[in-house]
Amino acid sequence: MSAIDWAVLVLTLVVIVVYGIYKSRGEQNIHGYLLGNQSLPWYHVCLSVMATQASAITFLSAPGLAYSSGMSFVQFYFGLPLAMIVLCITFVPIFHRLKVYTAYEYLEQRFDLKTRALTAFLFLVQRGLSTGITIYAPSIILSTILNINTTYTTLFIGSLVVFYTVYGGTKAVSYTQMLQMSIIFCGLFAAGAMVVHLLPANIGFVKAISIAGKMGRTNAIDLTFDPNNRYTLWTGLLGGFFLQLSYFGTDQSQVGRYLSGASVSQSRLGLLMNGLVKIPMQFLILLIGVLVFTFYQYNKPPVFFNSFELNKLEKSKYNPELNKIKAEYSLIHKEKEIAVNKMNAALDKDDAGLVDDQRKVLQEADQKEKSIKKQVTDLMVKNDKHANTDDNNYIFLSFVTQYLPRGLIGLLIAIIFLASMGSTASALNSLASTTVIDIYKRLIKKDASDHEYLQVSRLATVFWGIVCIVMALYASKIGNLLEAVNILGSYIYGTILGVFLVAFYVKSVNGRAVFFGAVLTEIVVTLLGWNEVVAYLWLNVIGCMLVIFFSLIIQAVIKHKKSA
Amino acid sequence: MKPENQLQNEQELPPFVKTWRQFYRLLISWLVFLIFIFYAFTKYFE
Repeated sequence: MSAIDWAVLVLTLVVIVVYGIYKSRGEQNIHGYLLGNQSLPWYHVCLSVMATQASAITFLSAPGLAYSSGMSFVQFYFGLPLAMIVLCITFVPIFHRLKVYTAYEYLEQRFDLKTRALTAFLFLVQRGLSTGITIYAPSIILSTILNINTTYTTLFIGSLVVFYTVYGGTKAVSYTQMLQMSIIFCGLFAAGAMVVHLLPANIGFVKAISIAGKMGRTNAIDLTFDPNNRYTLWTGLLGGFFLQLSYFGTDQSQVGRYLSGASVSQSRLGLLMNGLVKIPMQFLILLIGVLVFTFYQYNKPPVFFNSFELNKLEKSKYNPELNKIKAEYSLIHKEKEIAVNKMNAALDKDDAGLVDDQRKVLQEADQKEKSIKKQVTDLMVKNDKHANTDDNNYIFLSFVTQYLPRGLIGLLIAIIFLASMGSTASALNSLASTTVIDIYKRLIKKDASDHEYLQVSRLATVFWGIVCIVMALYASKIGNLLEAVNILGSYIYGTILGVFLVAFYVKSVNGRAVFFGAVLTEIVVTLLGWNEVVAYLWLNVIGCMLVIFFSLIIQAVIKHKKSA
Repeated sequence: MKPENQLQNEQELPPFVKTWRQFYRLLISWLVFLIFIFYAFTKYFE
């Protein structure tokens, strides 16, 4: 990176942190620290929930995904507006009316202490472990790009977030997230405009999309019922709905964001606006990936986008084999370039037959390119069995660092830092809220002063910050930890959602039934997951359904015993 | 007597429309519109 890029990167980060601290200055109490005095307007709520959900990987993976397999990922978010409506009708008014700090507090009012403690504990385990990955994942990418050791990037992101989250609490988190999202939107818009600008003179915006479309990259909607297809309209609407409902309704890192709204109305509006904006935003991010794809039809892309892994292979004994593959790759790209130019001419003439012919040629070349990539990754694994063979996250970054002008590179690298900081800050804040409200205040010291709770909240934020940073540092030593944490999340999310759904919609079930139902579900889900009976994503749905089922059965047994 | 939350909901009205129910309908219509537009996008460029 050039000096200008470094200056932009450092300035952006400093401005964000100073702004967050400035806006949250002044004397605070526990209500202000954990809920921002419930004074925030809807646009704060909206940007805050968006920043919490969007991790750095969102902005890196999505364009890479569009580049390699098209835009079908947008369907993953179709369940989100529906989930927002359910949240606004049920969750938001109840949480506001009961004046709770955490979602789990409500469960004690509805059921009993043990159900509250169980769900709070499950949340702390799951969120505590996964936040380490939220810091680690972008750290490893940034360390590759900036050529800095992962430990430093992890420590830098982690300590910066801990600093302003400890100081300013929810208000600092929310104000920084608002600015972060504004910068992220501007940066992505600039990147999109630059891709179009960098295309050949005779290729405009619509033409670029047309070319990508002919190669299967504009597949935004898939109406098939193929169960093996991860992203279709149906999985997006049904699976996405359950996933988003459990995430926004039961994960304190999101509940804490919308509870900071000034009223039911402001919280609702923030969530509904998120439902309005999220899908078009994701579509536009994917569209950038599609434009990058067309750009690389005219400019030879690297044979593998993760330069760190490629350099490792080049320095190994497998370099001669790699060179042969690279030569073959160059030939295929030339073939492709000729076919793309012919396709362009055919599109100008509106010659459907010729377009179809060139489409076939291009699709064949695309397949050949994929098989060459497979040969490269096979060599990588031969050379180092722990090599990272997935380069999706590096496609957009590689483009940014190679082709974008100075200054903009720094801004886009800053975006990765900001996105990671936004979701980490929310997570730390929610971990502290749950520790203090559901554990310390409820189980350890009920009658402490407001000042003491505030100090304990700050200490809890520091504690969880350290845990997450250590987790992130440890993650670099174990290759498959990322997947392990995702699996752990699936073991837990479904159960918590099931408990909340019973709380809201099955009034006849009491605390004892739902508690034992949840414990039984955890045992069954763990066994199913451990023995790999189903793909781990299904554990969310199974967990949710089982809690409802077991609770009803246990409640019926209790009722029967009482009447007997 | 109406429940407290129902009273509160009636007092806090959404912008642009008269009731929250209308806002929810608006959001569902927006989702349907987006699906339709994306489908047209897919078909047009494929």
